[in-house]
Amino acid sequence: MKTPINAKVDLRRLLVAAMVAGAAITVAACGSSGSSSSSSSGGASSNSSVSGAPSWCGSKKVTIALADGFGDNNWRRITTGEARDEVKKCPSVTKFIYTDGQGNTQKAISDIQGLVAQGVNGMVVFPDAGKAVLPAIRQAYKAGVVTVPYRVFPGGKAGQDYNWFISTNFEQAGELWGKWLLKALPNGGNVVNLGGPPANSQSLDEYNGMKKVLAANPKIKFIGQTPYNVTNWDPAQTQKVVTAILAKYPKIDAITTDFGAALASSFGAFKQAGRKIPAVATEDSNQLSCDRQKLLPTNPGFKLFTVDSQNWMVRTAIDFAVAKASGGQIPSSTVVPQKPFEDSITKQPHPPTCDKSLPGDAFLSSHLSHSQILAALNAH
Amino acid sequence: MASREHNATTERSDPIPAPDASPLRKRIVIPGPGRGTAILNSASLAICIGTALLFLVSWLVEPQSVSHSSVLGMLPFAAVLAIAAIGQTLVIQQGGIDLSVPGMISVTVVIVTRYPNGDSGKLAAAILFAFAATLAAGLVSGLLVSRIGVTPIVATLGMNALLYGGVLQISGGTPRTTTARLHNFASGKVAGIPNTVIIAVILTALVAFLVKRTVVGRRFEAVGAGLIGARAAGLEARRYQLGAYVAAGALYCAAGILLAGVVSTPSAFQGDQYLLPSVAAVVLGGTSLLGGRGSVVASAVAALFITQLDQFVLTTGAKDAVQNLVEAAALALGLAIYSVPWRRLFDWSRRRRDDEQGGVPVIADVGRPSQGKQGAQLAPEPNK
Repeated sequence: MKTPINAKVDLRRLLVAAMVAGAAITVAACGSSGSSSSSSSGGASSNSSVSGAPSWCGSKKVTIALADGFGDNNWRRITTGEARDEVKKCPSVTKFIYTDGQGNTQKAISDIQGLVAQGVNGMVVFPDAGKAVLPAIRQAYKAGVVTVPYRVFPGGKAGQDYNWFISTNFEQAGELWGKWLLKALPNGGNVVNLGGPPANSQSLDEYNGMKKVLAANPKIKFIGQTPYNVTNWDPAQTQKVVTAILAKYPKIDAITTDFGAALASSFGAFKQAGRKIPAVATEDSNQLSCDRQKLLPTNPGFKLFTVDSQNWMVRTAIDFAVAKASGGQIPSSTVVPQKPFEDSITKQPHPPTCDKSLPGDAFLSSHLSHSQILAALNAH
Repeated sequence: MASREHNATTERSDPIPAPDASPLRKRIVIPGPGRGTAILNSASLAICIGTALLFLVSWLVEPQSVSHSSVLGMLPFAAVLAIAAIGQTLVIQQGGIDLSVPGMISVTVVIVTRYPNGDSGKLAAAILFAFAATLAAGLVSGLLVSRIGVTPIVATLGMNALLYGGVLQISGGTPRTTTARLHNFASGKVAGIPNTVIIAVILTALVAFLVKRTVVGRRFEAVGAGLIGARAAGLEARRYQLGAYVAAGALYCAAGILLAGVVSTPSAFQGDQYLLPSVAAVVLGGTSLLGGRGSVVASAVAALFITQLDQFVLTTGAKDAVQNLVEAAALALGLAIYSVPWRRLFDWSRRRRDDEQGGVPVIADVGRPSQGKQGAQLAPEPNK
């Protein structure tokens, strides 16, 4: 016998259950993102480069597109700025189209299909949704569009599902951090590694890279969770995690993280705990360098090492797409190397740099000019 | 804690109807003194005991999780969640649910960081703007629910999407760094107590007083407890529903401003983490999801419980999966405490036991005919 009240109770319970389930699904969905792995397949090129333009710029007039899976954060904005800047180098590119999948897989797929319908000649794809967009990428490739996914591995095979996959190796970033830790902690020490959402391959690869380098040096130990402490790349969560780690471990000599700007949020926690900020190895961030400048007098041990944020990686993908579509010379490597950017110990290739005229979310490792970075960040 | 002895002088305490009261108004059940006017009712005592137990367990299992610096690191987040939970409580008391919490908090964070862009001089204007935006959003949600009759879940989910659009439009995906003044305020302390906690306590006390000790507040709760009855009593029910969403909007804004100060380099969608915890705090605080009686103080205490639980599990170094499981278990337990009819279950099992022992069964529905299957279960035939 069910009274209306009972029915209402059931509805509420159902709602709460649905919300819990929804949250679980979101967490699960956020936990996956692929990366790395590289393969290449050469394409016949006629090598008829336009004079005065880079060698990858052929003479055939082409329309080039960048199909972004998600476009609304500082990294993507600057990256899009880099892509626009790169196609400008080649006069054969008569039109450049940018689409933003807005983090919606369906939109990302229909964007790719729409670009094929518009008759673009070459397309660079950021396949955020991984394998989910592979069928659309394959379709574009089979329709004769030069298709170049980059940074996130969409599955499939080059030469069969798309022309090339432009990859980077996050393990290399980890190796760079590991080598720097050896310099920063000559007597060994405790290292805390912070990463993104659970089971994401980027944070995992970085940890493996560090392990590889540090295996021979048992004096440098990882404390806290391994492979990494989950922060979801969220500044608030990072702050909570750092607070917990500071409470649990009385001695922390270095922190490694793939989101330096989020770590900057938790510097207050060190002060609160009466602790000094240790050495930090991460990706470059204007915010982080500026904060370091402010905190250095009171935290003399705050050494900093950053790897390049690789906004310019999209340029390699554009080069491949334009070269194949316009008949230019195909570049040689599909793997974009990880590079060091700032190092407070050797000052090579750069000492930590704070540009106060740029906002905290700018990446100084970008290949864009000062005004181009500002324009890219403020583009709507 | 005020209790039954307390002789509150709210209008409902008077057993003699006011001269202008219609006979109808006399008959509706409106919580009077001892019937929900206590700032912290007995049902919500559970969460206070639970929180005290949690701190005790934290201290026993992982003493570092209740160390001075750890508690100081945890409290600002508890304060932000508490303020958001108070807003959610008001909406749930009106039989609604507010899914626009993430959008409201995110849009506030983005407004108070992006517009001043590091310039503390522009902070006041940005805060006013943030309040205007969230009040407007609350007003629209409230109007949709109370006037047009859109289901709260749909209205507020839609509002959340609109607010996210606003967040992207304003921020382009990344807010700027918090201004120095806001950061200093949010990380500041008075007599060793973080400012964020002081703000949360003041807001909790204020809302608790308004709901429990003023005429408007008592009517507000009465409307939530029985919409039809309140309408019949001549209360303008829609106004109270609308008020809940607007007040909640203002509270989310306050939470967002503090959060922007606590997290000095926030992300654009910083409010994302607050939807489920805000509802969980309300549930753990003993406010019925059906609306009606509730306690904002209990919700605020539950917010402290949830945040400390989070911090405790983090400090133990448990895996992320374990963290989620522990939090889910706490929520399930809280739900079970309030929504499982323990008394009925207890009575039923006692009757069964008596029956098996051959005792005289207690007939539940004396004077009422057995009602189908359920009735048969409650009063089984002897000598079966």
